[in-house]
Amino acid sequence: MATGMTMSDATLLRRLSTLLVARSGCPRRMRLFSSYIVRGATFEPPDVSHLADSARISLAPGEVEDFGPKIRQVIDWFGQLQAVDLESVEPSVRADAEVSMYKREDTPETFENREAIIRVAPSYDDPYIKVPKVLSKE
Amino acid sequence: MPPPPVRSPSRLLLCHCRLPFHISPQTRLPLSHNSSVRRRFHCSAVSAVSALSSDPQIAPTDLTTTPPSSHILSIRESLLSRRRTAADVAGEYLDRLRRTEPHIRSFLHVSETTMREAEEVDRLVASGKDLGPLAGVLVGVKDNICTAGMPSTGGSRILEGYRPPFDATAVRKLKEAGAIVIGKTNMDEFGMGSTTEGSGFQVTANPWDISRVPGGSSGGSAAAVSAKQCVVSLGSDTGGSVRQPASFCGVVGLKPTYGRVSRFGLMAYASSLDVIGCFGASVIDSAIVLNVVSGHDRFDSTSSTHEVPDYASFLMSTDHFESTPLKGLKVGMIRETIGDGVDVGVISSIKAAALHLEELGATITEVSLPSFSLGLPAYYVLASSEASSNLSRYDGVRYGNRATVDELNSLYGDSRADGLGPEVKMRILMGTYALSAGYYDAYYKRAQQVRTLIRKSFKDALEKMDILVSPAVPSPAYKIGEKVNDPLAMYAGDIMTVNVNLAGLPALVVPCGFVEGGSAGLPVGLQMIGSSFSEEKLLRIGHIFEQTLPNYRFVPPLFLELV
Repeated sequence: MATGMTMSDATLLRRLSTLLVARSGCPRRMRLFSSYIVRGATFEPPDVSHLADSARISLAPGEVEDFGPKIRQVIDWFGQLQAVDLESVEPSVRADAEVSMYKREDTPETFENREAIIRVAPSYDDPYIKVPKVLSKE
Repeated sequence: MPPPPVRSPSRLLLCHCRLPFHISPQTRLPLSHNSSVRRRFHCSAVSAVSALSSDPQIAPTDLTTTPPSSHILSIRESLLSRRRTAADVAGEYLDRLRRTEPHIRSFLHVSETTMREAEEVDRLVASGKDLGPLAGVLVGVKDNICTAGMPSTGGSRILEGYRPPFDATAVRKLKEAGAIVIGKTNMDEFGMGSTTEGSGFQVTANPWDISRVPGGSSGGSAAAVSAKQCVVSLGSDTGGSVRQPASFCGVVGLKPTYGRVSRFGLMAYASSLDVIGCFGASVIDSAIVLNVVSGHDRFDSTSSTHEVPDYASFLMSTDHFESTPLKGLKVGMIRETIGDGVDVGVISSIKAAALHLEELGATITEVSLPSFSLGLPAYYVLASSEASSNLSRYDGVRYGNRATVDELNSLYGDSRADGLGPEVKMRILMGTYALSAGYYDAYYKRAQQVRTLIRKSFKDALEKMDILVSPAVPSPAYKIGEKVNDPLAMYAGDIMTVNVNLAGLPALVVPCGFVEGGSAGLPVGLQMIGSSFSEEKLLRIGHIFEQTLPNYRFVPPLFLELV
């Protein structure tokens, strides 16, 4: 059940465990479920070619071979995070707890040096930045 | 509006000190103790020392016999008294830069307008108008910080030749304060690396031993200040990239609180972790730079509205220290950083530094930070994930190098393949993996939960202690080539620094000792960590530590040989 778990399976299990807690009020049963989700799950090892595709980096075949073991080694090392009990720990999106209440005026301002922006574009044909054609995948 | 100009160096140093622990400015260190301490020094090289003419009040031999002084204040004093011109000072630094560059290669670009800008400072001095606090001061800027009209590559071939249309806020503030940007310094590509071997252009050498790395990713900035190619420099610190090179190069490195300095114009690596920091040859110089670059910026919504005190104003001259100026200070030594896996020489330097703090009146207690070792994998998950998103903008479309292809997808793929280096590619791929559907909860979210644990453990420790101390790095500078093929071995070196970034806290690294290596030893830095926005406290403590440290002077052999 755990192998190759999809997002929907994980969500289902989470919802189930939340339901159980709500019904029983017992945190222990929830921990059982979440540790089952985490420890039982074995993820697919990283498919370097597929990742390179997603990241829009054209890797040479030699690079795929070279990166593969190194990336797998680091991802395995990341696995330490699975072994920790993080029950009821809120994730921190940022370093500090406070969010700045400052908001600037929502009024557009013209940037004073547009020529310099245009100058660095590799291919410009006023007013377009040109790129090659898009070919569909099929 | 630049901060009010500093009136005179002597007046600055005599300000009444308002530290929370007791200091009586009337009590003086017994003179005999002072002079005997100064005579027992570890001279880092023999041979004739030519005049360090940017410090006209300090005779050449004093360079290795007195505690570090403020070069910024010396330059200011010599300009105001008309003893020197800004053109003289700039000429001296440029000359030294050119002579040392073939050996250390810390610069990717040297400004062509330095002398012209120095002449403008001279005109300002002649006119009698107020000078900014950094007038005539030569600054190196890490190449991932945008400088208008000057190439800013982020250490990457994908931005080779790119000239930004704007200055980063930190750079704009430096210029408004009168500073002259002497050049852009070398770095690991986009901040990913700890040695500068990840630069797309060149490897920088450590001025203490040119067969070794200066550290990274701000290696060029650290080496430049160490070799006195510039007075101070800017760097960036995402996982230790200012503090580790400061330790390797024997200079002061400051990592401010997250949000203290605007990130506008800093090429983003990991947005929740990046900060701009600075290097100086003394704590005062770092404090003066922090004064100038800090503050809220409407262009950076993560910048803080927390007020900016005058960080340099309470850094007193040693004549006014009482015998135990740190009396009452509670210092926590992080137990996890002085055990297994740490170089024996580094541990003994840190313990000696702790003894020095005790002699100054502080009490040292060992503290343990739970979850300490989890910070490293959590950091790399968060940093790689955020980087995979931040670096997607380098696509060859609007700026940077573009591959010549017929079709748009190949444009992205090939431009990025050609322009990005191997370490950057790997981290983008790891980040892409960690963020993909099904894995987000297991990696990214768990890393964020670990971040919460680490924030809490620092907070708890800093409630009981005023500051925490640790080494900045587990070892002295590596040999060039030593860590190149082993990513995990390289990541392991960040263990002392990443947790501070996860918690967003400020930290100061001050050189504290040496270990064996090179012709004159390799420097070791002491890292001091404070609670959010406690830079004032860190700088005062760092200054007192530095000014009273007996036996060691941090002047690299390269400087003494070539100058």
